[in-house]
Amino acid sequence: MADVALGETPPSIPRRNLPSASRSDRRFKWLLVAPAALLILAISIYPLIFSIWVLFVNYDFQIPGHAFVGLKNFEQVVSDPVARYSLLVTVVLTVSNVLIELLLGLAVAMVMARSFRGRGLIISILIVPLFISPVVVGQAWALLLQRPFGPTNYLLGQLLGQEVTIGWLTQFPYNFIALVLADVWQWTPFMFVILLAGLTAIPPHVYEAAELDGVGAWQTFWHITIPYISPMILLAVTFRLLDAIRLFDTIFIMTGGGPGTQTYTASFYLYTIGFAQFHLSRATAGSWIFLILTLLVIIFLVRRLLKPEAN
Amino acid sequence: MDDRERRDFEAGLSEEVDAWLRGEPTRRDFIKRFGQATGMLAISGSALSPFVNSALAQAKMELENPDTPLGKAQLAAYKASTEGPMDGSAYRAVEAAKQFAGANLNMTYEAGLQALDPRNFSGPLWDELTGIKSTVVELPPPDMYSKPIAEHIAGSGAYDVLDLQPQWTPALADGGVIAPLDDFIAKYMNMADLDDYHPLYKALPTYKGKIWGFFDDGDMFALYYRKDIFDDPKLREAYQAKFDKPLEVPKSWEDYVQVAQFITDQMAPNVYGAGHFRKAASPGNQFDFMQQYRSNGGVFFDENMKAALASDAGVKTLENMKAANAASIPGNDELDAVSLWVAWLQGKVAMIYSWPPTGRMSAGYSQSDKAISFIPQSSIAGKVGYAIVPGGHPEHAFGFNKAIAADSANLEAAYLFIQWACSPPVSLARCMLPYALRDPYRISHFKSELYGELFPSAPEYLANLNASANVGLLDPIMPGAQDYQLTLDRMCTSVWAGTDPMEALKTAAAEWDATTENLGADKQKAFYEEFLKLPGSTVGNTVEALGMAVKL
Repeated sequence: MADVALGETPPSIPRRNLPSASRSDRRFKWLLVAPAALLILAISIYPLIFSIWVLFVNYDFQIPGHAFVGLKNFEQVVSDPVARYSLLVTVVLTVSNVLIELLLGLAVAMVMARSFRGRGLIISILIVPLFISPVVVGQAWALLLQRPFGPTNYLLGQLLGQEVTIGWLTQFPYNFIALVLADVWQWTPFMFVILLAGLTAIPPHVYEAAELDGVGAWQTFWHITIPYISPMILLAVTFRLLDAIRLFDTIFIMTGGGPGTQTYTASFYLYTIGFAQFHLSRATAGSWIFLILTLLVIIFLVRRLLKPEAN
Repeated sequence: MDDRERRDFEAGLSEEVDAWLRGEPTRRDFIKRFGQATGMLAISGSALSPFVNSALAQAKMELENPDTPLGKAQLAAYKASTEGPMDGSAYRAVEAAKQFAGANLNMTYEAGLQALDPRNFSGPLWDELTGIKSTVVELPPPDMYSKPIAEHIAGSGAYDVLDLQPQWTPALADGGVIAPLDDFIAKYMNMADLDDYHPLYKALPTYKGKIWGFFDDGDMFALYYRKDIFDDPKLREAYQAKFDKPLEVPKSWEDYVQVAQFITDQMAPNVYGAGHFRKAASPGNQFDFMQQYRSNGGVFFDENMKAALASDAGVKTLENMKAANAASIPGNDELDAVSLWVAWLQGKVAMIYSWPPTGRMSAGYSQSDKAISFIPQSSIAGKVGYAIVPGGHPEHAFGFNKAIAADSANLEAAYLFIQWACSPPVSLARCMLPYALRDPYRISHFKSELYGELFPSAPEYLANLNASANVGLLDPIMPGAQDYQLTLDRMCTSVWAGTDPMEALKTAAAEWDATTENLGADKQKAFYEEFLKLPGSTVGNTVEALGMAVKL
């Protein structure tokens, strides 16, 4: 930190011919940001504008040319029952995943907020799944659950004392349970880490005062802990929602979207029409629809996030 | 400065940034450091490039001991390329290609085992023979289609040699992505080499009267069964007693289910009657449906180009496939091709139908190379018999053509490479590589004594592949093939999950019709009619039915 006394005017910069230097500075700052700006234009803005063009033309690897088709690409997506269903699956899986991860993450954070021997080691182990690629997580769970080689049914059979023949990857509702299981296993630590940070930031004297006043454990949790960490909860839920809504990797590895289209999420649907069927213009229209729907969620969540600051 | 500004100021600014804002480092310093950084980048690029190149380019050539069948085949390929016969396609290609010494060919290949051939064998050998290097670009199957198109649209000329599924040929030819070979063939090829292709495969790269590639991978399904189980006297006796007929390798799909169920009933959990790769997108469902559906008399489209799936043949096919699932190893619906191979090689199933590497793995030949060590050693070597799949009309599932990218800057060199690689002696050596997934497709492959020496039952294996090709069926070769096949996969897996077969067939038919409408019904009809002219397009139009069957 520079040694500048607050409230004082910063030391003036001696310059000769200040107006000319100022002009030069103005140009120079553009020179400095130019590489970053060009990069953003090239890899972000240009594709975005290009995608708007693709929305209204035929851009299909199986149909030569790029004829103008108006809103046909949107119509095809909206009228596709698989698209609508995949949106529903996305909502169901996202809400289920995030809710379970929040509850589990909070419970684990409550336990880990207290000091005990080996706490550091346990926390280190708990957050390991965060560092694993979702593809690897999907593959690992598929290996555990897939018949006839996966051990899950065998172990369950040993526990229950009877043969278990569940098709974890192909049979409803077990395929959804398997997908939630894999996601919760990987992302609960994320909730846990954020909520633990929130819990450890609560001043101990608040709890001490509550204890002196004879407040019960449940009331303490409900009226002190939750209000204190609610901004952190909102932050964690926002981050996880935005990530969970894009669920693709585990679906791709574990169920391949099947059986039928039963486990298609929006991302998997868009991947399939874009990169398995090569209907790029339809995939682009679907992506824009998905983006707009996601934006509505983002705007809502960000407003909720910023509300305390505004207040 | 208000509170917020002060907070930001305290939190956000480091000493270095303050110093920068005060103008302590001069602009000259900045430009100098920027130049240094850029220079470092350039230097690091050139310093790293040897490592990058070695990672991407061909490896050191791997040749087998010349006393082994593969070693002899490799030596024969080498001699055919260097000594002749001088009118052979391999020799001509090498001689003509020497003028392009120093060029580099970028070749797309399916990622994984397929790419080991150009990396370890054909790429380095071509380099040694001609001085033309190669860079193998490994791509997953969807990208093998989309990337060449994307590069063509960009006009990048990124690829020279393309590995493509035959079903993509119409779209890529019409789109200008691949170049016709006719002029090159007339100039360089020994035309007898074209006649060496099995008739089922010969026409696959032909479209609108031009040749757009060389077929290069005979992906013919065949039935592999456990001879020891079918020969077991107790089982035979029990089967005879139960069904009043002898236990035989099934010839119809109904018999297949019956035999599979019988073996499962008798031998499970040690051995199950059958196994299939039925996992969603695996892609066994679509191939199995197409071969059984057509064997049951089904047609894909009616005369108005409407999907004809929702039919008695469709219901019969799905019902029979469901019954086969029930008679199979637990978890049958969750297996992909590799998992099924694992179950088969461990001796857990009595019958499977799959791609030709199954035979080489069953004999334990493939596992002789460490590259394929992820497949278990065979516990059934010497116990495996080969037959045409039940129904008598196996699917030719995918396959590959070698083609040249129209935007290639090395068009002629690229052509000469594929002529050489697909020539009889070189392609034989490539098909015999233990780790490669290239399967025999030339008549000379099926007749090859060297191939026949690879493992004890190799002659029967080759004979069965040839016989299967004589009666085999092709995947539809037309635009939209991916869509149609994806629909079949979804349809099958939804039936496995409990959907009524007729309902699933109707849904699939509606999806097919939507695809056809989207691509243009008249255009699709024209493509379909072209496809129906190919040998192997229908059960009434097989190589054998056309009187072109190859007898070994």
